[in-house]
Amino acid sequence: MEPPGNDVVAFESAEKIILRWDSTASEDAREKMIFAGDRYEIDRYLQAVDEIQRSMEFATLSDDQNKANSAIQIAMARLEDEFRNILIAHTNPVEAESLTDSSPLPEEDYEDDSPLTKDLEHQESNGSCSYRPTNSIREIDLMPSDAIYDLRCIAERMILAGYLRECIQVYGSVRKSAVDSSFRKLGIEKLSIGDIQRLEWEILETKIRRWIRAAKVCVRILFASEKKLCEQIFEGLGTAMDDACFMETIKGPAIQLFNFAEAISISRRSPEKLFKILDLHDALSDLLVDIEIVFDSKSSESIRVQTVEILSRLAEAARGILSEFENAVLREPSKVPVPGGTIHPLTRYVMNYISLISDYKQTMSELIVSKPSTGSRYSSDPNTPDMDFAELESQTPLALHLIWIAVILQFNLEGSPELREMVGDDCLRKLTGKFRQAATNYQRSTWVTVLHCLRDEGLHVKGSFSSGVSKSALRERFKTFNAMFEEVHRTQSTWLIPDTQLREELRISVSEKLIPAYRSFLGRFRSHIESGRHPENYIKYSGEDIETAVLDFFEGYQVSQHIRRRSQ
Amino acid sequence: MPVTDYQGASASFTNFGRSLLSMRRDQVHSMEAAHEATSQEIELEAFQKQVAERFNELSSVDSDQLLSVPWIRKLLDVFLCCQEQFRSILFNNTANLNKPPMDRYVTEYFDRSVKGLDVCNAIRDGIEQIKQWQKQLEIVLCALENQRCVGEGQFRRAKKALIDFAIGMLDEKESNTSVAHRNRSFGRNNTQNDHKSLGHFRSLSWSVSRNWSAARQLQAIGNNLVAPKNNEIAATNGLALAVFTMSYVLYFVMWALVAAIPCQDRGLQTHFYVTRQFVWAVPILSLHERILEESKKRDRRNACGLLKEIHEMEKCAHHMNELIDTVHFPITEEKDGEVKLRVHELGLVYDGLKNGLDPLERQVREVFHRIVRSRTEGLDSIGRGNHE
Repeated sequence: MEPPGNDVVAFESAEKIILRWDSTASEDAREKMIFAGDRYEIDRYLQAVDEIQRSMEFATLSDDQNKANSAIQIAMARLEDEFRNILIAHTNPVEAESLTDSSPLPEEDYEDDSPLTKDLEHQESNGSCSYRPTNSIREIDLMPSDAIYDLRCIAERMILAGYLRECIQVYGSVRKSAVDSSFRKLGIEKLSIGDIQRLEWEILETKIRRWIRAAKVCVRILFASEKKLCEQIFEGLGTAMDDACFMETIKGPAIQLFNFAEAISISRRSPEKLFKILDLHDALSDLLVDIEIVFDSKSSESIRVQTVEILSRLAEAARGILSEFENAVLREPSKVPVPGGTIHPLTRYVMNYISLISDYKQTMSELIVSKPSTGSRYSSDPNTPDMDFAELESQTPLALHLIWIAVILQFNLEGSPELREMVGDDCLRKLTGKFRQAATNYQRSTWVTVLHCLRDEGLHVKGSFSSGVSKSALRERFKTFNAMFEEVHRTQSTWLIPDTQLREELRISVSEKLIPAYRSFLGRFRSHIESGRHPENYIKYSGEDIETAVLDFFEGYQVSQHIRRRSQ
Repeated sequence: MPVTDYQGASASFTNFGRSLLSMRRDQVHSMEAAHEATSQEIELEAFQKQVAERFNELSSVDSDQLLSVPWIRKLLDVFLCCQEQFRSILFNNTANLNKPPMDRYVTEYFDRSVKGLDVCNAIRDGIEQIKQWQKQLEIVLCALENQRCVGEGQFRRAKKALIDFAIGMLDEKESNTSVAHRNRSFGRNNTQNDHKSLGHFRSLSWSVSRNWSAARQLQAIGNNLVAPKNNEIAATNGLALAVFTMSYVLYFVMWALVAAIPCQDRGLQTHFYVTRQFVWAVPILSLHERILEESKKRDRRNACGLLKEIHEMEKCAHHMNELIDTVHFPITEEKDGEVKLRVHELGLVYDGLKNGLDPLERQVREVFHRIVRSRTEGLDSIGRGNHE
């Protein structure tokens, strides 16, 4: 142990340094910052502080203790200011590039929300939003290492002197401002639940998209980096100092961030919200891993709990919306067929909806399997679809809609393997069967009377054994056929079958019955007409004319009244 | 779901100001004089009675306990109980809720309750703000408590913390009355000579947008909140009254929270129109009056929040500050005694807060959750009903 004399000298010179830098005492002390100056000055000051600390432990006389106490307080007040100053000097908002995620999503929002764009967005987000349970945390350096070193030097001494609360306060208040600033750059808004309820869903969709991107950056980069900074400065210096400082910095912003997702999870349910809710659910679900890592202390439990709650609410909302949707479709009372026989808008909507759902198959399966709907409607086998097609027999317009569903399913499933898989081959066979039957029914209902004109019976004169043909009957036949065909041509040209393959199929099935029948009829009986007067009134069309005319069917256009005739 | 039990309802129907059964007896149209109470009526009567009982208990508090943390926690407990009972009523009466006008009343209630959610969030922020002030006082305690010798250094430390505390409080008061002070940008500010020249940063900015207002929110919750007329009550078998009661409870509880806890644009001038005909109206109106009285007292007019503990913090800090200013060194034993007294006083306030704020925060979250859950369930069942 050193002789007392040296102690006193050491103390006094340290005290002098401390007093020199007392900002309450001198203007000069206020204006200059120690840590902005040269290293020598900094070290000298820190050593002085250490000296005072040391002497406090050994001071026995109350006078000495008092002096040491006093000096310590002045030093701590000074160090607090220095600490704050260094922090402020390095709170430049993080560069934009560092803040962006590795995902390739462009910054501008999609104005065009066509299903294609939605698909693209979704695919891309699926790409960066993987189901791997690993974390994608990426910490960046928020401060240069020499600043961190200085901060640590100060923190060490403040904690040793029992001034850790002041330290936490200063740290929290400055860093929180920095985080707020980054939040603004990321476009994270302060919206109340009321605000969100009043917004149009399309606008909310954009905000959700933006939020998902921002939240990933916040959790994986921003929060993680703040945590790292706390560790760099405070780790090992005192009981959970780094955690206290981290929470002081991050708790408010984190709550603000997740409040948005919470507000969305609470919003009123309606079918069009399903997909964005699923997006939000998936994004949050992915982030959960990272949230658990970043917010791993006891004091951050409330944040973890909140995100789990939000996730569960989003899942509930998704299930609820799907249930609602199911009910709405089944209860759809509309029996009015669309003029032109094209696809009912509801059907189209349902199909688009279902196709998009199939993209979310994995999530939806998890959500539904974890909590399957109950009710007599549902079979116990999750793989069998439960639609009862009995009502198709009655051929109500709804049934026709469902036919078209079958049709689209049949012909669009090539492009959507998930959907095909979900629907299942069994169901598909059933639907296809129904569709075939409907096609047959169509044929029957439309063409049987037309073809009836081209039959043999009734044309031959009764009783006569010779090949006498009733000319008048024959003329009637031709006239009727022409009129009927023209009528069918006129109306069914305006019918639209959107699916080209089906259109072809139906036309072919018409042709293969109609054309041979007509040609054969023509072949057998034209001579009888041509031998009479004005044959052109009766034989208006050649076989080729009819063939060509059939090509007009189901195109959805009005055609001229007269079927094109090839010149005789 | 269990039907909430009641105590001796059949015997004490006549005791209430305006029991449902007595109203039905008054009804000209209803000639069922020898009417036996249905389980639905019993349930609804019980609801009225228990709401009244709970608020009577809250109202019986001494004025020094009113708006304290423990009292607020009791208030929230009362809300949760009423909410659960109401939820049960809705559950047991789903069929009736789908018919007009009940579907409208119930949907209105849920709209009001959603507005309460933003209040819950604002209150959560406010509790955080109180915690910040509390931390300043913790420093004071750390400096002055249990020291073998309280030297000049400790006093200066305490003083500094008290100044920070006062600035924090002032900041909050000012921001409620002026447009400035929100989100101050940071930067070195060398023009001021004060040792805080590096700028004092409000460590907490509200998590709500600049134009969110607690006062407006309360107005929205209480908007169009009128008691149903007798014929409406009878036509809905008393359900309209239950909805009105719950709406009123929600309104009052949110109002009391805003009164107590700091939040953005607190304003207590929302009106409470309800006639005293309802059993529970008496205690609620009495509480309302008392709280309003408190807010008008001279020393509380500019309070950031009427929470007793905030007032106590302010008083303690003020006394301590004054005391410290009169301390000269070397400190006399007398002075030292006074300091110890004040420190002890402060310690009590601090401990009360420390033990009470976290549970309070959790309770506010619980209120949030229950409101959401009740609403989701309720809207679902109405939605389903509409399609049957």
